[in-house]
Amino acid sequence: MLLSVEPDGPVPIYQQIRDRIVEAIAAGDAPAGTGLPATRQLAVDLGINFHTVNKGYDLLRQEGLLRIGRRAGAVVQRDAASGPPRPDWEEEWTTRLRTMLAEATAQGLSSEEIMRHCRDIVAGFPPVTNDDPARGDAA
Amino acid sequence: MRPVVVAAYVLVPLFGLFMCIGPLVTRPSVQFGVRVPSEYSTAPVIRRERRSYRWRSAVIAICAVAALIAWGGHRSWVPSRIILLVEFAADMGCFWWAHRRIAEVKAAEGWFAGRRQTVVADTSWRTEPQPFPIGWLAPAVAVIVVTVVIGVLRYPHLPAYLDRGGGHRVATSPVSAFAVVFAQAYVTAVWSGLLALVYRSRPDLDTADPAASLRGYRRALGVFGRAGLVLLACVDLSLLLYALQFWQVLHLSGDGNVLVLVPFALGLAAFFCAVIRAGAARARVAEAAATTDRDDDRFWKGGVVYVNRDDPAVLVGARVAFGWTVNLGNPTAWLLISGFVAVPAGLVALAASAI
Repeated sequence: MLLSVEPDGPVPIYQQIRDRIVEAIAAGDAPAGTGLPATRQLAVDLGINFHTVNKGYDLLRQEGLLRIGRRAGAVVQRDAASGPPRPDWEEEWTTRLRTMLAEATAQGLSSEEIMRHCRDIVAGFPPVTNDDPARGDAA
Repeated sequence: MRPVVVAAYVLVPLFGLFMCIGPLVTRPSVQFGVRVPSEYSTAPVIRRERRSYRWRSAVIAICAVAALIAWGGHRSWVPSRIILLVEFAADMGCFWWAHRRIAEVKAAEGWFAGRRQTVVADTSWRTEPQPFPIGWLAPAVAVIVVTVVIGVLRYPHLPAYLDRGGGHRVATSPVSAFAVVFAQAYVTAVWSGLLALVYRSRPDLDTADPAASLRGYRRALGVFGRAGLVLLACVDLSLLLYALQFWQVLHLSGDGNVLVLVPFALGLAAFFCAVIRAGAARARVAEAAATTDRDDDRFWKGGVVYVNRDDPAVLVGARVAFGWTVNLGNPTAWLLISGFVAVPAGLVALAASAI
């Protein structure tokens, strides 16, 4: 998995790390069970403070996307094939989505254009194949 | 002729040749220690400075070898060291000159203005790390074992005093007799330890094509690691030959002393070739950029010395040629340097007090 961040960009680096990992999970580049580097190693590879990486990993852990163990390190906990999300997650996500769509509307994009962008982005992710019913959230 | 004098005859031309080629086979995005966007890697100022540097470094190498020949037959090691030092300073001066010229044009024309500057990491570098070529350490270990066996067999038959060369004699004791073995063990431990650190350090990836960049880096690191361990075996072999002479197993006189340095010279020449080859392998990585590498020149003093307090890395990719340098902004790097200075100094002091 490639992690690309802009150290001098307007978005905080921990947020960029979190966003890139979420995108990699959605794109199928980091399916459930994929190991991620230790925080100190990733900090060295990106040339940033390891607390920043820790913060990014912690966000993903809170969202249920990452499992951080002492022995196994950071492991991707779930992906698109792991079944539906937690019940409370969707409500929180809808709040953020409302803001994103409000931005587009305020900037003058029509509802058709907004829907086209959404469709194109979702179509870019690989189709979900839930071959193993045993995986689910426990993966 | 003493081996220390002959060493200069090996180092001066080899270093001169290395500095003629090494700085020219770096990644396209780093030219004479200056980070440049990929489309500027063939800018007129870079082409001009590369041409000028090639000529200047070649003239320096030729002058240094000529000076060495002019001093030929001199029994002191001082002039040859001075030539090596002057050659080093002149080459670094030329490098710095090219660095300044390119950096000035880069700043004046704003090569990085308005660009998205990114840093990229490939997680597979940590989840599937490059294995250290432990098998290539076997020759060096075998040479040390052979040295120890010969030393143990020879020790009861050694005279009361041993000739260290140059008229210096030392009383025979386990410390004085086996000093060469300690030197072999120290060199082997430090060099293989450093190589192990290098294998764990971060690869500098080009944001334009990080996957191809990492493949190129893995290939280059493999070449560098294997060549480094061959050089180590050659150094240990040279020390074995010296030990054989010291223990009076091998009797060399006059120019025969040069034989001691032959493995070292061959190993160093092969190592320099490998470093150039590794650099060339990385220089070939194609670049077609949508984003640009981060302009990190402010952390590189003169394009050579790296000081960045916010970077947790201890070892980073060097910019003079393919290789690594320490991050002087990291306290661990200073500990590492102090260790390299303190341990041999301590060993020498210990040996001196024991003798």
